[in-house]
Amino acid sequence: MMTQADETQEHEESAAEKPARRSLFRRGTAPLLPEAGAAGAPLTAVIAVMSFLAVLAMASLLIVNHAASEWTSALRSEITVQVKGASPEEISEGLDAALRVLNETEGVLEATAQSQKDAAALLEPWLGEGNAEAFLTIPAIIEVKASPALRDNLDLLRNRLAAAAPGATLDDHARWHDRLASAARSGQALAFGVFLLVMGAACAISIFAARAGLAANHEIVSVLHLVGATDAFIAAEVQRRFFILGLRGALIGLFVALAALLLAGLAVRAGGGADNFLPDLRLGGWMMLWLATAPIATCLVTALTARLTVLNTLSKQY
Amino acid sequence: MDAGKEIVRFEKAGLAYEDAPETLSNVSMALREGEFRFLTGPSGAGKTSLLKMIYLAHKPTRGRFFLFGEDAMDAPREALPALRRRIGVVFQEFRLLDHLTAYENVALPMKVAGVNQNQYREDVSELLNWVGLGDRMDAKPPTLSGGEKQRVALARALVSKPDLILADEPTGNVDPAMGERIMKLFVELNKLGAAVIVATHDLHLVQSIGKPVLRIANGKVTRSAGAGGAG
Repeated sequence: MMTQADETQEHEESAAEKPARRSLFRRGTAPLLPEAGAAGAPLTAVIAVMSFLAVLAMASLLIVNHAASEWTSALRSEITVQVKGASPEEISEGLDAALRVLNETEGVLEATAQSQKDAAALLEPWLGEGNAEAFLTIPAIIEVKASPALRDNLDLLRNRLAAAAPGATLDDHARWHDRLASAARSGQALAFGVFLLVMGAACAISIFAARAGLAANHEIVSVLHLVGATDAFIAAEVQRRFFILGLRGALIGLFVALAALLLAGLAVRAGGGADNFLPDLRLGGWMMLWLATAPIATCLVTALTARLTVLNTLSKQY
Repeated sequence: MDAGKEIVRFEKAGLAYEDAPETLSNVSMALREGEFRFLTGPSGAGKTSLLKMIYLAHKPTRGRFFLFGEDAMDAPREALPALRRRIGVVFQEFRLLDHLTAYENVALPMKVAGVNQNQYREDVSELLNWVGLGDRMDAKPPTLSGGEKQRVALARALVSKPDLILADEPTGNVDPAMGERIMKLFVELNKLGAAVIVATHDLHLVQSIGKPVLRIANGKVTRSAGAGGAG
């Protein structure tokens, strides 16, 4: 092709050409769409917020799941036997009989009778100090750790207790267990719903940003088409750009969310909340892995949405 | 030449921009493999519009249009990039990408075609050297003069060794000596088999090359009486 070039090639081998040739190996690596620069900052910021919310939603899901699991497993492994009676003597006899039955029953791992003093202490918040034992005949309470097999079939134990100690009743905490499980499911559904909403918002933002980017780079896209670029090629360029912006924003969101969770966990522990009924906000290794999926999801949703938006927009052109 | 070698064919094609009157009307013409045509006519006559239809920037609003033997009016969108890659276009307004270097602009058709850089690095370098920009490979278009941009645009159009070369006023921004070199290059490429259409106002250039002329006036394409020998 370059037959004319031969005669001109030699005198054009200027000294200035040599450094240019040396740099050939680093050529051709520039992105075909210009870097977003300052224009990418708002998008990065929005994706960081989306990632932050997604991580918090995921953390809520994990914490509720973990807490519900701990609560329900504790409830499922324990049963309570309550022995009532008209007098302390009758209660004492019933307690001894119930303990005998429990100790003879296969599947009972541990049976501990709560002292009258401990039982009275439970009522102190409502009746005042010392009043419970003075004015009430407080039932005896036996805390029983049961094997799963026994836990699944308590009818025999219930009948034997009723026969041995007529004032004894057995509570398997099923009512509480079901309520806690239901509350946990609601909490999980809510957290998952928030997570999906955040992903939806990330989609919407990405669509808007991709369309704006195409409009701003209309001339570049047009030239790429005219030199033979396919829609998929252009979409891949846009996807790459959004992935980088998304990754940057997602990591910022992740670190800010982790810092917020760390502070919240410290605040709960400082207030003694974790020793009472509040869930423990400490994040274990596996939880961290799950949390990392939130920014990854945000980043992927952003990039893939941008790709699909570009493909859809370009498909309407000649 | 047999009909199968036709690479461009318009049959009563027309082009109108939105609701405006037709810029081009009843265009019927054909270009065969290895032919060379100049396209002349007054400003606003539709030279650029005709080229735009050929390089698939605008679809004719009526009539029929065949490119490389394929019906370009009904071709699926996915088929267009492959057709465009067979055409090298030197745009009147250059249309270089300002954020890329001269080297990257010239390499663009190869990159979008998925060609490995090792395969085109030397070609790009050679072309830029030939157009006198061997020392400006890393320069970006905003730092180049109009003539330099024109030469980068020319190199970009030729790098993929296209079957059809379209040039819209390719010598408009270069000095006469470079203009002559560019035209001689087109003639050489034409001899090697590429079909060429050059839109120009420069009648002196047209006469000096002595190739057939298509004249556009009032939206109609006619074969000029002053056409030279067959291309």
